[in-house]
Amino acid sequence: MTTLAPTRTDPTEVIAPRRPVRVLRAVALTVATATALVAFWSIDIQWSRLASLPGQVVHYLDLMFSAPSWDKLPEALRQTLRSVEMAWLGTVLGIVVSFPLSFLAARGYGPAPVRGALRGLFSLIRAVPEIIIAIIILSVTGLTPLTGALALAVNSVGTLGKWGYESVEGVDHGPVEAVRAAGGSTVEALRWGVWPSAATDFFSFWLYRFEINVRASAVLGLIGVGGIGDMLTSYTQYREWSTVGVLLIVVVVVTMAIDAVSAAVRRRLTDGSTGR
Amino acid sequence: MKTTQTPRPGAAGGVPAAGGAQAAGGTRAAGDGTAGRPPLAVPPRPAGRWKPWAALAVVLLLTAATLSPWAIGFDADAIARNWRNGADRIVRLFSPDWSFFPRTVEPMLETLQMAVVATVVGAAVALPVSMWAARPTNPDRWTRGAVRLALNVVRAVPELLYAAVLVAMVGVGALPGVIALVLFNVGIIVKMVSETIDGSDRGPLEAGRAAGATQTQINRTIALPDMLPSFVNQTLYVLELNVRASSVLGLVGAGGLGLLVDAVRTYYRYDQLSLIILEILVAVLVIDLVSSIVRRRLV
Repeated sequence: MTTLAPTRTDPTEVIAPRRPVRVLRAVALTVATATALVAFWSIDIQWSRLASLPGQVVHYLDLMFSAPSWDKLPEALRQTLRSVEMAWLGTVLGIVVSFPLSFLAARGYGPAPVRGALRGLFSLIRAVPEIIIAIIILSVTGLTPLTGALALAVNSVGTLGKWGYESVEGVDHGPVEAVRAAGGSTVEALRWGVWPSAATDFFSFWLYRFEINVRASAVLGLIGVGGIGDMLTSYTQYREWSTVGVLLIVVVVVTMAIDAVSAAVRRRLTDGSTGR
Repeated sequence: MKTTQTPRPGAAGGVPAAGGAQAAGGTRAAGDGTAGRPPLAVPPRPAGRWKPWAALAVVLLLTAATLSPWAIGFDADAIARNWRNGADRIVRLFSPDWSFFPRTVEPMLETLQMAVVATVVGAAVALPVSMWAARPTNPDRWTRGAVRLALNVVRAVPELLYAAVLVAMVGVGALPGVIALVLFNVGIIVKMVSETIDGSDRGPLEAGRAAGATQTQINRTIALPDMLPSFVNQTLYVLELNVRASSVLGLVGAGGLGLLVDAVRTYYRYDQLSLIILEILVAVLVIDLVSSIVRRRLV
């Protein structure tokens, strides 16, 4: 403050405001930097290996994509279909289970203890990776695609339930009050007060979860429930790189295509409902 | 059912729009009177009400198709046979084997190390790439399109598949896990942050351009402070995802708790698995808590 006074001799000079001091920010930055440094220093990686990495990556990319063995394509597509089926079934089951639960878990509609229990359940499920859920389920259903679908369904309930109740709580309360004032029951308030405004949210959550499940279903193959991930791990273990290349191309193309279709459907749904 | 509607009174049916409006006006005018009040003219139902039902039918049909024996199938017999066996194992999930804890400490630490290292590297890489992928900070259509396309491709492959391939390339250990996570993180951060930049207020950027700044100067002094909160937010989010993801990367040999998960599942030691799950839960919840506090205070 005192240092500013002498500089003010020239009235046209612009004085920048003092930088605010942010103790918390400084502390957080220090802690974050320290954590990062400790992690870098202690992790069991020989950083010298990084030097040869670019060369290796180029070498393997060349092995994978210079002469892909396209004769494996039909089998790859069949396995991809299997994965997508898992994703689809998992999403539909997830929707069926999470749909009523997300209303029960919303403030103002379900009883408080139920709400708390459901929210706890949702966050519990979300914290566990789907592959571990699959490992648990496979003790009953075996190493079948059904296991994959069920694991995806369980995981979908965690996210869809959460997004659902947040959306139900976020709708404008006017219509709900109108239904209540007209003597509507809770179910009627949900149907005519909440659903018309929340429906597009729900549809896009479902589509988005389907996109996530398509990716996740490929991963579930790693533990042997079938699908493209299963095929990819086996061929990686045989080190048949030309087939691995084909499989990666299939995964990328199919995932991007499904994302594009899903985005188109979503756009159609959201625009269609706001245009009315 | 929606399809069984009671026939609506007189005016509403097939009356053209103008007639409907007149009827509605008449109703309002006569509303205060008591006698001879015409029935309320309900507006005609919008066309295309069959569409949601058609969509539902398609969804049900596809679902039934996936349940058919040619696809995923639903073998109730096998489940019934496995049920006793499986139920026993699942019950063991509820009695964690605490004596297993010492063996989980080191893999747990490795999981956290991988998560942190990958977050830092991923964020560092993603910061400039986000600027390349957003319109205000990279007006060149071709480089922007190329960056976005490359990232869409990167995002289409899940991190565990990257890890599976990378383990075969560079060998078992934390390194392939970190690389897989970095790829995964760059995809997410760049997508989210570049969308924030795209949606940000153009005013300051235009002011910078009007003052004669180069694109690099604009990005450095105007766009960077603007995108920083979103960037920090996404980095924290990615850290949460990484803790969850890195705990299973070991399933393909990429280090961390996943190595133990793989060992434990082979012997169906679900009591030990449940301890590992508990540890993952605690780690994820703690990281979520810390990052939500940081987020509230800083962003």
